[in-house]
Amino acid sequence: MRRLRRQVLVLLALTLSLSLVGLTGTATGQAVKNPDTFIQVSFGDWDTFDYAWAYDTSSHTVIFNVYEPLIFYDGGRTDRFVPRLATAVPSLQNGLISPDGKTYTFPIREGVKFHDGTPMTAEDAAYSLRRFLLVDRDGGPSSLLLEPILRMTKTRDDKGNLTLRFSDLERAVQVKGNNVVVTLKEPFGPFLSIMALWSNVASKKWAAANGDWDGTAATMARYNNLKKESSAFFEKANGTGPFKLERWDRAGKQVILVRNEGYWRTPARLSRVVFRSIDEAATRILMLKAGDADSIAISRREQPQVDDDPTNIRFIDNLPWLRIDGFFFTVDIDTRGNPDVGSGRLDGAGIPANFFSDIRVRRGFAYAFDYVTFLRDAFRNQGTLPKGMIPPGMLGFDAKREYFTQSREKAVAEFREAWGGAVWERGFRLTVLYNTGNIPREVGARILKDGVEALNPKFRVDVRGITWASYLAAMNDGKLPVFWVGWVADYPDPHNFAFHFLHSDGTFPKAQRFKNEELDRLVMQAIKETNKEKRQELYFQVNQKFFELAPSVSPVHQVVFRVQRSWVRGWYNNPVFPGTYFYTIFKR
Amino acid sequence: MTAFVVRRLLLLPLVAFGVTLLIFGLLQMLSPQMRAALYVTDPRQLRAVDSIIRTHGLDKPFHTQYVGWLGRVVRGDLGWSETAKMPVARAIGTFFPATLELTIFAVVPILVVGIWLGTLSAVHRDRVVDHFSRFFAISGTSMPTFVWGLLLLMVFYGAWQLFPPGRLSLEPNMYVLSQQFRPYTRLMTVDALLNGQLWIFVDALRHLALPVLTLSLVSCATLVRVTRSSMLETLRQDYVRTARAKGLNDGVVVNKHARKNAMIPVVTMSALLFVGLLNGVAITETVFGYPGIGLWGVNAAIQLDAAAVAGFALFNALLLVVGNLAADILYALIDPRIRLR
Repeated sequence: MRRLRRQVLVLLALTLSLSLVGLTGTATGQAVKNPDTFIQVSFGDWDTFDYAWAYDTSSHTVIFNVYEPLIFYDGGRTDRFVPRLATAVPSLQNGLISPDGKTYTFPIREGVKFHDGTPMTAEDAAYSLRRFLLVDRDGGPSSLLLEPILRMTKTRDDKGNLTLRFSDLERAVQVKGNNVVVTLKEPFGPFLSIMALWSNVASKKWAAANGDWDGTAATMARYNNLKKESSAFFEKANGTGPFKLERWDRAGKQVILVRNEGYWRTPARLSRVVFRSIDEAATRILMLKAGDADSIAISRREQPQVDDDPTNIRFIDNLPWLRIDGFFFTVDIDTRGNPDVGSGRLDGAGIPANFFSDIRVRRGFAYAFDYVTFLRDAFRNQGTLPKGMIPPGMLGFDAKREYFTQSREKAVAEFREAWGGAVWERGFRLTVLYNTGNIPREVGARILKDGVEALNPKFRVDVRGITWASYLAAMNDGKLPVFWVGWVADYPDPHNFAFHFLHSDGTFPKAQRFKNEELDRLVMQAIKETNKEKRQELYFQVNQKFFELAPSVSPVHQVVFRVQRSWVRGWYNNPVFPGTYFYTIFKR
Repeated sequence: MTAFVVRRLLLLPLVAFGVTLLIFGLLQMLSPQMRAALYVTDPRQLRAVDSIIRTHGLDKPFHTQYVGWLGRVVRGDLGWSETAKMPVARAIGTFFPATLELTIFAVVPILVVGIWLGTLSAVHRDRVVDHFSRFFAISGTSMPTFVWGLLLLMVFYGAWQLFPPGRLSLEPNMYVLSQQFRPYTRLMTVDALLNGQLWIFVDALRHLALPVLTLSLVSCATLVRVTRSSMLETLRQDYVRTARAKGLNDGVVVNKHARKNAMIPVVTMSALLFVGLLNGVAITETVFGYPGIGLWGVNAAIQLDAAAVAGFALFNALLLVVGNLAADILYALIDPRIRLR
């Protein structure tokens, strides 16, 4: 019996030590698993594969590999383009942009076939653009092209009736011979940037045969703001891209792409791409380590868990990201039944509705924030200190410009003068909110609290996390005194940030109830300017106003990272890509 | 007996009505803006909140929304699940087989080990076996499911690469999705055998091993405790003493006389356990990337996917009624004194 027990003990010890070796040890160069297949494991689901409907990163990554636009970004550059389904990139020099900057001509490439083997024509390209403008689902991407082409941001009135006419579409997007000609209402500087991501071409015949819009005036109303599941493109695709959509396996939470053997360029080296969705980060990390995933999505918090095996896993850091986060001040808060404004008066126990309408209060908060600590604690020092609301590398960014840094003296000076000295004398109490689960925002909110409360014992800032649903509702209702939110570029141009951060019709100023006529004029002047140097100067001015007026404060310029197996080759980064572009990738 | 069964089944629509009314009522307590969060997942869509509310009728009165939904249900349409990106009925049909398969594989070791260890523990009260089983029960129930799951995954997959997460490995998965494979039941192991693909059957078993082990460790412990207490009470009964006094050997006394009579609470517990597993084991499914109905249900609830939550609740109500009915019938089979009228 004693001998048996000893044997069991030895066995247990052996098992434990083997497990521990496996858990902590690092494997040496593993053989390439599934050499022709790329497995990308992330979290979150795909929304739809309709190129005119999808606005989420997961769906757009698939679309981006299955469809092709007329022009595309040149490698990792965001300011240079190469022809894709067009044979030339329009410019003033080649005469494909009219001298008034309103008409763009795209000569369409011949000999390109859709995945079903039918030829792609100029008619398909025009149809696809018109359909993109027409679909305009609530909160979708159509406004990106509606704004420059038709000078409108929505196609329905307040009652939901279609206001877009077929003649508008016909006039704006025309087929002339083998060219597609797009006529803008007014010059629009970043038009080509938008086209390089959002001008995907689908087959008109295929769409009509599958019950989607046939391109005529008679049926167009049916396809405006259509339900996503009603679209022929919802779960099927017929593009010209290097990969075909083989299956969206919703039961298995995965999407499978296969190589397009009839691709008009040399076919891709990977024969298959599998996207899988696994909610648990630890499981994704184990899959990467085991070689069952070639690339995974993780947060900065999980970085140490993949840092221990540099032989097999590459952690590529400090990649530029066209994203700006900010804490925003609501200048006209809805104080009715609002627990986040305390008493609702400037009596030391709350704040009034217009508390943040005084510029000095906003600037006081901005100077009280510890940007260095935020960069360290929330982003492990990866990123740079902020320089405004334009990301580094983009037109209008200037690393030498003055922006907020933490300064007790300046913060105190601003608060002392705010509301005629009443703020400093009486103090205040309010709540800074963030959406739960977002760790950097929580860290930022706490740093803001510490910074502001350290200035005056009468200042009281509470921090509260709420679910995304509550956050959204409160933000929309103007109930959040201070809120954290971020914006990822739809296209690499400062207008995409300037409009949504500063223009009174932009996304955030609407939520903040913020309006400044000078800023509105400046933002619109900058977008109409076609001269690059003049545009740059205008965005310098916009950024300066962002600093002076401080309707919101940008706390950091974030960078992004990528985690992949060392056997992955051919990957390159372009900050505007929604995800991985698999055409150039192979495994070795 | 038949009348009893029919009566219980007739209760089902009433239960379903009550459950869905409650779910809809609770969701209605949230503002339309909050419910719009299901469709607004990115700050870039903030400007569209009002039109989204209008398009989806989120601002309509409760009774209009509920009656509309009920009307569609009567016509067999449970609505659209935004989280599953498919109709609710199809989502149930898609995700339930995975959970059913997991439950079938898990329930066998849970019942066998649970009842066996519980009986052994009661018979050898305060001895080594009893201490061991109590330790097992306490550690099994006190350690959170996700801790068990991640520990097992780290050892058996991370270190040894024996049992991977998910439902199938890459090649079997591609084969199953191809035209060559016919899904008869959507239970992967069964379909693999029916298609004559032993390699897929083995691969599916490898993927089931860890979730089954996790569920067994967690759920078995509860059953051990219930069986033990019930057995201890039964072993103190006069008829057990009489049986022993008659000179029957201990095995017969325990297995034939005592255990059968101790089974009533165990059956209740087992039925609830089974139904609970079928309702979805969200944490286990999340840790192992196993796309079952629990994972979908939790995501639907988090995202306030009203149609999905109501459909899911409806389905659970059905399972619960049927599960309880099965338990009642089993009582009668185990103990003839119980009459079902």
